[in-house]
Amino acid sequence: MPTPLSEIMLNDKGFAFDPTTGESFQLSTTGLEIIRALRHAPDRDAALTKLIEEFEVDENTARRDFDQFLASIEQIGWLP
Amino acid sequence: MSALRIAVSGLHRGENPQPGAGIIRSIRRQHPDAFIAGLTYDAMESGIYVEGGPDAIFPMPYPTNGAEAFLERLDTVLAQSPVDIFIPTLDSEVELLVHLETELRQRGLRTCLPDKAAFAQRAKNRLGALAGACQVTVPETVSVHSVAGAAWAARKLGYPLMVKGQYYDAKYAGSEMELSSAVSKLLSDWGAPAMLQRCVHGPEFNALGLGDGEGGIVGLCCIRKTIVSDKGKGLGGMTISDKRLTAICERLIGELRWRGPFEIEVMLDEARGEYALIEINPRFPAWIDFPSMIGANFPAALLEMILAGGRPAPLAECPAGHFYLRHQVEVHGHIDQLAALSTSADFHPKL
Repeated sequence: MPTPLSEIMLNDKGFAFDPTTGESFQLSTTGLEIIRALRHAPDRDAALTKLIEEFEVDENTARRDFDQFLASIEQIGWLP
Repeated sequence: MSALRIAVSGLHRGENPQPGAGIIRSIRRQHPDAFIAGLTYDAMESGIYVEGGPDAIFPMPYPTNGAEAFLERLDTVLAQSPVDIFIPTLDSEVELLVHLETELRQRGLRTCLPDKAAFAQRAKNRLGALAGACQVTVPETVSVHSVAGAAWAARKLGYPLMVKGQYYDAKYAGSEMELSSAVSKLLSDWGAPAMLQRCVHGPEFNALGLGDGEGGIVGLCCIRKTIVSDKGKGLGGMTISDKRLTAICERLIGELRWRGPFEIEVMLDEARGEYALIEINPRFPAWIDFPSMIGANFPAALLEMILAGGRPAPLAECPAGHFYLRHQVEVHGHIDQLAALSTSADFHPKL
């Protein structure tokens, strides 16, 4: 069963624990920022916009990293 | 109030640990003055010699020797060292004792056991029917009574398979040759039938709990096994919180109206994305002292349930993110202790 992103236990260094499955993960710096953005933004587009503004990256690069990361967390069952 | 007097069995904590030593540790956390008699089947059960272990040790005949021998020995134990409560910890003991409730009561011995029908309903060869009634998936399983029968059944199930003994032990069989050897060994060790089960690939999860006998659960602790030994024993576990697993446990225990301790073993079938029920054990598991360390003392709740004769206060939730690691240490004994246990048939470790 997918675990809502809001329930993932996360520390400042990107160590993440899924309380539903008992699995833990080490996120990259980019991954950590994407998760934080997804948790605080109302939807995916708003999260991406926030990341582009905050880190001053071009939209294409940001969207590529963002989509890649979303695909990987969807695979492990985290629902953004 | 006088100190509790309790008998606990299954004291070994080696490679294949039994629950008794963990139960004693949990009881001592809440009842440090309790008198605990250890009932043992082997002088080498390591929990005999551990600090804070039982106050007295009494070797017992194996439950498979039958009720008469077991009760006769129990009478000797009670004459020498009266106890009021008995917490059996081995499957074979529970199987015997569910038929002896009257006899135990006549001896003033209180227990908390499932009724006979519920005990039989969770047996490995009836698990499929129970799971079906509770909308729980169970891997396809076939009971076999001979090596030839197993080979025939395996052609339909396909390899690899898990082969399980009637009471205990499981072996992996990837080919007909491995299957023959496994079935032959398990039939010889545990009698017929042995079970062939389709292999499930995925992580293992266990849930320990206490049923109130009316279909409710007094407390539940769910873990993912994080380290598994060659024998399939959980050397490490992490608490989890999954509503799906909790619901499965509630349905099974509700259907059985289970009274007393239990452990439900499931695997997350990665191919199907759902839990598959593997086994329901009629006792606490060897990792029973772990929840006591995070505020949910199941053995103490069991005692409360036995003493009050009803449902105790619900146990605290075991939140996700706590883990245990099995930590092996040496315990010390002397040949005199071994001699006493091997010859005079009772023993006080603290003398």
